Amino acid sequence: MALRDLVLTIARALVDEPEAVAVHERERNGEQILELEVARADIGKVIGKDGRTAQSIRTVLIAASQKAGRRVHLDIVD
Amino acid sequence: MSENENDLDESWDDDGDEDEAEDTAEAEAGGDASPGEPTEATDADGAKRRERRPRRPEYVPEDEHERRALEFVRDVVREMGMDCRVKARRPDAESADREVVIEVVGNDAARVIGKKGQVLQALQFLTHRAINRPGQERRHVLVDAEGYRSRRDSSLATMAKRLGKQSVDEGKIITFEPMSPRDRRVVHLALAKFEGVVTRSEGEGDDRRVQIIPVRRTPS
Repeated sequence: MALRDLVLTIARALVDEPEAVAVHERERNGEQILELEVARADIGKVIGKDGRTAQSIRTVLIAASQKAGRRVHLDIVD
Repeated sequence: MSENENDLDESWDDDGDEDEAEDTAEAEAGGDASPGEPTEATDADGAKRRERRPRRPEYVPEDEHERRALEFVRDVVREMGMDCRVKARRPDAESADREVVIEVVGNDAARVIGKKGQVLQALQFLTHRAINRPGQERRHVLVDAEGYRSRRDSSLATMAKRLGKQSVDEGKIITFEPMSPRDRRVVHLALAKFEGVVTRSEGEGDDRRVQIIPVRRTPS
C-alpha cells in the first residue's frame, strides 16, 4: 500500500536502525490506521522536539491521502 | 551570531532565468557539445541534435548532503503519489554556507506546497532531519516548489529592509512575529549588511522572534 510505503521511507531516513522500522496497517470505520514502530532508541527521532517530526510526517501523509482520496491516521507505537 | 555572518540578501529571486539565458548563448556560439555527442556530425544532423538537447542541463548534486536530500525528496514525493519532478538546484555562490536547494515542479506542486506552505515546510523539516546526522557537517536545506519559497523569501527580505529603515529612522527596536528558524535566518541575512541596525533572535521555541535593533554609528 502506497501510504504505508511513504511512512516507511520517511521513517527509515530518520532513524539509526532502518531495518527495525515497521508499519502495520489496519482499517477502522473506513479510515486507514498506520502504526509506526521503530527501535526503542529511535523513538525520539521520529517524534522530535515538541513532536515536530511526528507532526511533519502526519502533514506529508495527509497531503498524500487527500490526493489518493482516502482518510488516514498515523500512530507511533512505543 | 553566526546567523548574521552571511549575506544572502535577495539572491533568492533567482528563478533560473539567467542560467537559461547563458546556456542559450553558449549553444548559439556553438561552443559546448554535450558529452558523448559526435562532433563530426553533418550540419543538418547537428542542428537536429541541438534541438533535442535539453535547453538547460540539469544540475547534478556535487556532494553527499545534496545527493541524500535529492534522493529523499524524490522518494517521498513519488510515494505521496504526486505528479511532480524533483531536482537539485545549484547552491547559491553568494551563500557561504552552500544551502542545499531541492526543487519540486509539476502538476501537483500546489498539493506539495499545501495550505500556507505547510506541506512544503514539513517536507523541508524532514529533509533537514534526514540529511543532517549527528557528528557530521550540518547544512541548511531549502525545499521549494514552483518558486514558492523563493518568492516568499524575497518578499520577507524586502519587508525586513523596509522595517530596518523604519528602525533607523525612528530609533526604535522592531520585533517580528514568531517565525520558523529558516524565516528568521532570511531576515538576519537580509539585514546583515544593513547600515545602522543589528538583528538578534529572542525567546524560545515557537515563540522565538527576530528583533531589529538600531545602533549608533560614527558618521562616515
